[in-house]
Amino acid sequence: MTVILPLLFLLAAGSGTAVVLIRDPARQIFAIAVNGLVLAILFDALQAPDVALSELAVGSAAVPLLFLVALMAVRNQPPEEKS
Amino acid sequence: MSMLPYAVAAWLFGIGLYGIATSRNFIHLVGCLGICQSATYVLLLGLGYRWGSIAPIFYDHPPGTPAVDPVMQALVLTDIVVGATLTALLLVLTIQAYKRGGSLDPEILRPMRPGGQPDRGASRADDGERTAP
Repeated sequence: MTVILPLLFLLAAGSGTAVVLIRDPARQIFAIAVNGLVLAILFDALQAPDVALSELAVGSAAVPLLFLVALMAVRNQPPEEKS
Repeated sequence: MSMLPYAVAAWLFGIGLYGIATSRNFIHLVGCLGICQSATYVLLLGLGYRWGSIAPIFYDHPPGTPAVDPVMQALVLTDIVVGATLTALLLVLTIQAYKRGGSLDPEILRPMRPGGQPDRGASRADDGERTAP
């Protein structure tokens, strides 16, 4: 137990760095979902089960779906002028 | 261990700010802002954590058992919900900026052009009449 908590902290820092460094938004969505999952496991290890449940629902499912919908709306709709 | 949550929170906030400053795509920028917010989750939960404590649920523990701080957990719960709402709002604003400006790059949109001229690129939809094709 004394090893897994610093490991989870470092894993959260690494996955957050991955979200920033992946520049393509279509690939960044997967990094956001993985970051939400890692944060949920970290919060559960920090004795906060309700926060972990909320983060699992919001950060790992709802927010990537929002990004997916936004990317789909941008791709399906060409801008109104030629640019 | 006692300094690790603060170090991780500072690192997440710094890397999120770096991503916001260097981003060339508004959708990527909203993702970086989410990383900045996750720094606050880690900071608040790291403040309220105590070693060897239980979760603040006293259903199967006697009262008086050392538990972690439930106030910080309530704050983080509020923070997560506000963060999801903020992400949705910023993505809608991104789609509207793409519809009106024709690009997702913040350098191309009108407030970042030198002088702020409305022409030179003609990537705006609503200034003046356009020449009919």
